[in-house]
Amino acid sequence: MTDNVIRTERLTKSYGKSRGVVDLDITVNCGEIYGYLGPNGAGKTTTIRTLLDFIRPTRGRVTVFGLDAHADSLAIRRRVGYLPGELSLYKDMTGHGFLRYMAGLRGGVEWKYVETLAGHLACNLAQPIRTLSHGNKQKLGLVQAFMHKPELLILDEPTQGLDPLVQQRFYHLLAEARAAGRTVFLSSHVLPEVAKTCDRVGIIREGRLVAVEQVAALKAKALRRLEIRFAAAVPPAVFAGLPGVRDVRVENGALHCTVVGPLDLVVKTAAQFEVVDLVSHEPSLEEVFLAHYSSEEAGGRT
Amino acid sequence: MMLRNIFLKTFHDQRRSLLWWALGILSYALTIAAFYPAIRNMPAFNELLSAAPKELMAAFVGNFTDLTSPAGYLNSQIFFMIGPLLFVIYTIGQGSRAIAGEEENGTLDLLLANPMPRWRAVAEKFGALVLGTLGLAVVLWVGLAAGAVVVKMDINPVRLAEATFSAALLGLAFGALALALGCAAGNRGLSIGVASGLALATYLLNALGASVEQADPYRKLSPFYYATAADPLTNGLNWGHVAVLMGLIAVFFATALFLFQRRDLAV
Repeated sequence: MTDNVIRTERLTKSYGKSRGVVDLDITVNCGEIYGYLGPNGAGKTTTIRTLLDFIRPTRGRVTVFGLDAHADSLAIRRRVGYLPGELSLYKDMTGHGFLRYMAGLRGGVEWKYVETLAGHLACNLAQPIRTLSHGNKQKLGLVQAFMHKPELLILDEPTQGLDPLVQQRFYHLLAEARAAGRTVFLSSHVLPEVAKTCDRVGIIREGRLVAVEQVAALKAKALRRLEIRFAAAVPPAVFAGLPGVRDVRVENGALHCTVVGPLDLVVKTAAQFEVVDLVSHEPSLEEVFLAHYSSEEAGGRT
Repeated sequence: MMLRNIFLKTFHDQRRSLLWWALGILSYALTIAAFYPAIRNMPAFNELLSAAPKELMAAFVGNFTDLTSPAGYLNSQIFFMIGPLLFVIYTIGQGSRAIAGEEENGTLDLLLANPMPRWRAVAEKFGALVLGTLGLAVVLWVGLAAGAVVVKMDINPVRLAEATFSAALLGLAFGALALALGCAAGNRGLSIGVASGLALATYLLNALGASVEQADPYRKLSPFYYATAADPLTNGLNWGHVAVLMGLIAVFFATALFLFQRRDLAV
């Protein structure tokens, strides 16, 4: 399949003990934004670094643009923009000097576009990098990843340390990249971010790919924790019987429950009583996994 | 300043340290030259030194009989120990930093995400190390040659250049070793430690071999032997010895490229 920009087949990378990845089969299609979701230490960075030939698989095969990740690494890296997860820059350079250096090493970078990107992300180019905040360094990392308009962007935790305004501008860059037909492979440990920006999500846990979903399907399965405070006590049994509602209990005078899927029925049921307050918590990644596993079990592990 | 490649960047990064090295070496060379007239007019200096145990002296100033002649003086004060060690310290520092330094600082991923083969990063870094070493050698030579003119020390500037080159070449051998260790292990401390330890051990081996008969056959295992034993300041370069040092540099450099190409990079 030449349409696969990234393809790993039974990719395994073992480090002495537990860290690493096991039998990963990942396919990323041309033109999509693929979110690689998992808690810290799940193996996201390990996977990404095999794509760029920084580390070599213990077993399995990795191709990018249909080229072998090791043998054809040079040709691959020419077409890839990369943002490392643990970004470290040259502390003594200014942002400007750093970007010039990276552009010089790569060659064929249009400096006007670098300036446009830096302006878009409001980069501080004049200060020495050692004086910059984490977020400001991250922005320089993003500019160097995007500056040569690569066909494939590999971004390891791109929004780490970015303030919300800059995050929005980064999402805008992603949208632009998608519109231009480029492919994005981004890792994250934050579900809402992936849900907001990606077309498809692969979930990795303890080195194994546990699920691949369209974002729309993931949202349908989304799990939320609700906390509803009523003017007068409401028996939990009213909610316990609703489909998709679990773990109903009353704590400190507020009703708590977990809802999988749409909230519609819960809200309509609650509306029959006098609601003082309603809080919906974003689920943690662990809770998403739990929801995923339990729904698979309910479906007889298809 | 436009830094278009790793070579220029590496050179640029060490500009301050290189400047201090140059100033230090220059002032050392001038000081050594400045003291020569005093030593020359003090024939007792030889006797003073010969009163000390011969083996001990040989370990620090080499096996030179006339320490008041220009060549004997410069050999004992610079070319037997201090000069080679200065170059070795500089090159081990730079060689270990080249790849392992970037790896430990976490900048190596960013560097090698560029479309360049790994060997090129190593080669450009080593190129900067070679140029820096040769630059310092020129500074040492200029300092000594100019100092010799001022104090009317009768020394052949060409021989002086040959002795300096020999010491610089020795430095490059240990620099290439430190580079290879850094490329193999990605650990700067390990590279510095092992390379410095070997430098010290082989220095002592050569120095002892010069004075202790039982150690003599093993002198040829020491790179210091090939830099100093033929006395290039008096006799000019011994091309066989130069070839050995060049060979060491080539082998260590090739090992660096080979091991770095094969291994996983640390985050």
